[in-house]
Amino acid sequence: MLLRARNIFKTYAMGRTEVPVLRNASVSAEKGEFLVILGASGSGKSTLLHILGALDTPDRGTVEFDGESVTLLPAARRNHYRNQKIGFVFQFYHLLPEFTVLENVMMPRMISQSVISWITTRRKARRDAQALLERVGLADRVLHRPKELSGGERQRVAIARALVNRPAILLADEPTGNLDSKIGEEILRLLVSFSDEGQTIVMVTHDLQLASHAHRRLLLEDGALREYRESRPSTHFAAKEVAP
Amino acid sequence: MYKWFFAWRYLHTKLIALFGVASVTLCVAMVLVVLSVMGGFLDTLRERSRGLHSEIVVESGSIQGFPYYQQFEAYLNKHLPNVIKTTTPAIYSYGIVRVRATAYTRPCRVLGIRLSDYIQVNEFGNGLHYEGFYPGTTKLGAQGMPLAGFNETNRLALPPDHEQASAVWRKKQSDLAAIDEYDARPFETAPFPKELAVTSGGSRVFSMHFESPRYEGPERYGVIIGSDLLFDRLSGGRFDRYLARGANISLTLMPLSQTGSPTGEPPVKLPLRYVDDSHTGIFEIDDLCIYVDFDMVQHKLGMDPQPRVDGGTTAARTNQLLISLQPGVGLYESKAGITDAWNEFILEIDRNLSAADAQSLSFVKVHTWEDLQRPFINAVEKEKVLVTFLFALISIVAIVLLGCIFYMIVEKKTRDIGTLKALGASSGGVASIFISYALVVGISGSVLGTLVGSLFVWNINGIQDFLASLNPQLRVWSPEVYSFDKIPEVVKTADAIWVASIAVVASVIGSFIPAALAGRVWPVQALRYE
Ligand SMILES: Nc1ncnc2c1ncn2[C@@H]1O[C@H](COP(=O)(O)OP(=O)(O)O)[C@@H](O)[C@H]1O
Ligand SMILES: [Mg+2]
Repeated sequence: MLLRARNIFKTYAMGRTEVPVLRNASVSAEKGEFLVILGASGSGKSTLLHILGALDTPDRGTVEFDGESVTLLPAARRNHYRNQKIGFVFQFYHLLPEFTVLENVMMPRMISQSVISWITTRRKARRDAQALLERVGLADRVLHRPKELSGGERQRVAIARALVNRPAILLADEPTGNLDSKIGEEILRLLVSFSDEGQTIVMVTHDLQLASHAHRRLLLEDGALREYRESRPSTHFAAKEVAP
Repeated sequence: MYKWFFAWRYLHTKLIALFGVASVTLCVAMVLVVLSVMGGFLDTLRERSRGLHSEIVVESGSIQGFPYYQQFEAYLNKHLPNVIKTTTPAIYSYGIVRVRATAYTRPCRVLGIRLSDYIQVNEFGNGLHYEGFYPGTTKLGAQGMPLAGFNETNRLALPPDHEQASAVWRKKQSDLAAIDEYDARPFETAPFPKELAVTSGGSRVFSMHFESPRYEGPERYGVIIGSDLLFDRLSGGRFDRYLARGANISLTLMPLSQTGSPTGEPPVKLPLRYVDDSHTGIFEIDDLCIYVDFDMVQHKLGMDPQPRVDGGTTAARTNQLLISLQPGVGLYESKAGITDAWNEFILEIDRNLSAADAQSLSFVKVHTWEDLQRPFINAVEKEKVLVTFLFALISIVAIVLLGCIFYMIVEKKTRDIGTLKALGASSGGVASIFISYALVVGISGSVLGTLVGSLFVWNINGIQDFLASLNPQLRVWSPEVYSFDKIPEVVKTADAIWVASIAVVASVIGSFIPAALAGRVWPVQALRYE
C-alpha cells in the first residue's frame, strides 16, 4: 500500500465548542490508483486531504507512506515529503501572482535547490516545466502571469506545478469546484489522462459526476469513510450537497 | 534558492518596497551628510589649529607675561639640540585699532611676533595676502608707504622691489588664469595722499601719484591685520580691501606692570602702517587679531628691561615661547622633555629671583598645540557624537517603518506563504525570504543613500549658495558661527562603509519580527479560502 491513513481523529476547537470533524477515518491508496472521496460540503474532505499531505496533523491516528509514518516525521523530512512525494491541487489554484506561469511550475524545484545546485539544475527544471505545460496545453502561455489566465487555465498550471517533481501521489481538493461544468470536465479528463499513465491520484469532491472515472469511490460521512455504493439512494447525498 | 528569487521579485513588483528603499536611502544619506560635515569640520579644525600655533607652546596665560625666556631659549638650544628646531617669543595683548582714513575703530588682540621666525614655526606665512603676490615685501619693521607712479617708460608701476617681487611670483605661478587675472588688473589705485581705493572690492590696492614710483615717508612700523577685522567678505572668499597698502593705522595699547596693574602712564598710541592682512581661515582669529613687531611692542608695553628702584633692571618678558621641533621627534615626548628642561632651568635660576619674577614664572606651563585646542576640539567632537546619535535615533524610526512595511507584505502574502509551505518550503525558508528581502532592500537603500549623501556633501556649498540666492535666511552655514569659510565637502570612505553596513544590518533586524510571523503561518489556515 502506497499511502495508508488509520483511525484518524481530528477535532477543531471553535471557541469553547469543539467540532469533531474526523472520527476514526481510515483510508488507503494503492500505487496507480485513482481514488475519489465523496462527501458533502463541510464533511471534512479538505481536512482529511491536508492530513494525508502532511499539511496538518491528526489528533490521533497515523498516516503511513510506503510503510513509513508521516505523522512522526521531523519538520525537515515533512517538508521534503510535501515537496517530493506529494503534489497538491487546490480548489482556488493558489498560484503565486508575482511569478510567470513557467516560474510557478518550476517553484517546487526551486524550493528544493540551493543557489549553487540551482545553477546546474536550472535548465532541466525549465525543460521539465515546459514539457508539462505543453502536456496540459499551455505551451504558448509560459510567460504570462496567472491573472492573465482563465480559471481552467490556472488550474492546468496548478496541475503542472503539482506534478513537476514527479510526486508519488497527487492530492486534488475539489479541483473543479470553482469552474463551470464544461471546463471542470476538461480538468477531469486531464487528471484521468495522467491517471492512465500510472499517476496515483486521490481526489475529494462533492460532485458525484466527477467520480465516474474513479477506480474506487469512498464516502466521507460523519467523520468516517466507507465504500460508496451506487445503489445507495443518492437523494440523501444530493440534498446535503446543496446545503451550504 | 527561491528566497533570493522571491526577494528580488518582490523588490520590483511591490511599490511598497520602494518606500522601504527610500527610507533606508534617506537615513543613510542623512547620517552620512551629518557625519561628513561634522567630521570634516573637526578635521579642518585640527589642521588649522595646528597651523596656528607652533608644535610646543610655553606660556604663562597671564597678560603681563613671564621673564627669562631668552635664557630658556639658550638653555634649550644647549641641552636639547636634537629636539628643538626653532624658538621664537610672542606677546599677547589687547588694544584698539583705528583706521586713520575713516576713523573706524575695533578692539583687537595684539600679537607681537618676530615675523621671519614666526612663519617658520607655523603656517602663518601661507595666509598673508600681499606677501603672496609680492614675496619678501611684508615686513613689520619701520617703513614708508609704497606709492605707485609713472616710471621712465611712462608706465604706471609699483616701486622696484614690488615689481621684482611680482616677477618672482609670476615665475612660480603655474595657474595661468591667475596670471591673466593679475595682468588684467595688477592693482587698484587710491589717489595719494588719500588711502582709500577708488573702486571697492580691489584685491591689491596701492596709493598712486604722478611722479616716479617710490616709498613715501614717514617711516612707521608695520601691522598685519586679520582679514575679517577691517574688511567685508565678498562672495567667492574674496575681501573688499578698500585700504591702500601702507595706509596709516593707529593702535592704542595699555601697558601693565609685571604685577599686572596699569603702569600709571597714559595708554600708548602707536602709529603703524598696514602692510598685509592674514587669513588663517578661523573666523575668531581673523576677526580679532593683529600682528606687530615683537621688539617694538615689547618696548611699548614696558615688557623690555626696566630700571628698578634698587638700581638694577627687570628682565624682559614675553607671553609665549613658541617652539618648533626637529622632524621626526614625537610631540608628547618632546613636551615631557621640555617640561623637564623648564623645571631644571627654574631650579638653576632660582637663587637670584625677585618675588615678582618667581610669581610670574610659577604660571608657566608647557603645552602642545593639541593641548591648547583640546577644549574646543573636544566640544566639537562631543557635538559630532551627539548629532550623529540623534540622527541614528531618527533612523530607528526608519527601521520601525521598514518593519511595518514587511509586516504589511507578510499580511498580504499569507496565502502565498501557505502555498509555498504546501509546496514543501520550510518555516525557516519562508522566514528567510523576508530576511533576504530586507537584505536586498537594505543594500539597495544603502547604495543609493551613499550615492545621494555623497553627491549632497560634494556639492553642499553650491546647494547652500543656491538656497541663499532664493532667500538669504536659508544660509545656514555662516563663517561667524562655524569659524570656517566653507562647509567641509569630503566624504570619508570609512564613514560611508560604516553607515551603509549599519543600515543593512538594521534593515535586516527590522525584518526579524515579520519574518518570524511569516515562518509561523499555518498553511492549512492560509489556504482554506480564496
Ligand atoms: N481551522 C478551523 N477551525 C474551526 N473549524 C474548522 C477549521 N477548519 C475546518 N473547520 C470546520 O471543519 C469542518 C470540515 O471542514 P473541511 O475539512 O473544510 O470540509 P470540506 O472540505 O469537506 O468542505 C467544517 O465544519 C469547518 O467549518
Ligand atoms: Mg473543502
